[in-house]
Amino acid sequence: MSKDEDRAEPVAEPPASEPGTPPGGVARDSAAADAAAPGDARDADAAEAGVDGTAAESLSGRQRLLAAIWPPRLNRAQLLVAVLLFSLGLGLAIQVRSTSTSDSQLRGARQEDLVRILDEVDARQQRLQSERQQLQQSLTTLQNSSQQAKEAQIQTLTKEQQLGVLAGTVGATGPGIELTITDPAGKVQADMLLNTLEELRAAGAEAVQINDVRVVANTWFADAGTGMVTVGGTQVSQPYRFTVIGNSHDLDTALNIPGGVVQTVDKDQATATVTEKSSVAVTALIPLTSTDYAHSAQP
Amino acid sequence: MIAVLGLVVGVIVGLVVQPGIPTALVPYLPIAIVAALDAVFGGIRAMLDGIFDDKVFVVSFLSNVVVAGLIVFLGDQLGVGSQLSTGVVVVLGIRIFSNAAAIRRHLFRA
Repeated sequence: MSKDEDRAEPVAEPPASEPGTPPGGVARDSAAADAAAPGDARDADAAEAGVDGTAAESLSGRQRLLAAIWPPRLNRAQLLVAVLLFSLGLGLAIQVRSTSTSDSQLRGARQEDLVRILDEVDARQQRLQSERQQLQQSLTTLQNSSQQAKEAQIQTLTKEQQLGVLAGTVGATGPGIELTITDPAGKVQADMLLNTLEELRAAGAEAVQINDVRVVANTWFADAGTGMVTVGGTQVSQPYRFTVIGNSHDLDTALNIPGGVVQTVDKDQATATVTEKSSVAVTALIPLTSTDYAHSAQP
Repeated sequence: MIAVLGLVVGVIVGLVVQPGIPTALVPYLPIAIVAALDAVFGGIRAMLDGIFDDKVFVVSFLSNVVVAGLIVFLGDQLGVGSQLSTGVVVVLGIRIFSNAAAIRRHLFRA
């Protein structure tokens, strides 16, 4: 506190002041007050005309202050000053309170400061908005890609099922026919069965099973004796039961055309019966074998 | 004595009641307070000089507050509000310091 006053001293008076000169000091102070503030000059004017003018010379400043403070006097002047100081204290308390509370940092801010702060907040909001948009976009992209992956997985699974039906590695059900060739005389040979199979395939058979052997692309037929045929390495004896999935009507028609399978079999003293069914099951399987030399050309 | 009591009561009431002030007056309150402080220091100094007059004090107090508020208002209208209020605070601070120096010389003879 004393340091601040010392710093302010050159402003208040010339540097040539020396302590302990009451009359000269007072005179010079009032002169300085005249120079510094017109209001204070009017103080001096009023004092010249006022009541305290004569007493001012006899009392020191300290004594005057003590006299003003004690004993308390209740008069108009004191009340007026008290009211003014009351308002000052009130304003001081309000201001201190409003600046010390943390949430009212903006309360005392000037208009341009507020505008600047608002601009900053706006820019920040825009930045965050664009960031949010970016994140949303990447989220959408990721969701799309994951959906595509799921789609691709479903398609792959479906493809696997279809290829499995073709390759005979999975079972199949669906509408179709059952063809039973009963051959007590043992006249039906492997070529007859092969012809039958060709006929069925031409009519759109999708999955074929002879007795307990699944018939696929590389199934072969060989004669194995009377009433027996080797199908894909497995001996099958008559009656030969074809379980065929496909359009049952087409298959039936294909087998029963003049000169077709049924007539040919009849010529060999055997009987072929075709039964259309709304649902047949091809359950025989071929174990899945991976190729040693051929690789998929597709990536 | 009554005047000092008035100041103390004002501070206490302000702290306890926490009255709200109109937002239009918010920018002017700090400057008004500094101006009033200047008037108060001038009054104390006049009292020590033995030339205190209550009428002059009241007028200078009110005019200080009003003029300070007017200057800030004008500065706000002109777009130099912050600079002008800084200038007002600097001027008033210099006056407060000079008055405080006079008071100090009276009280401590130094």
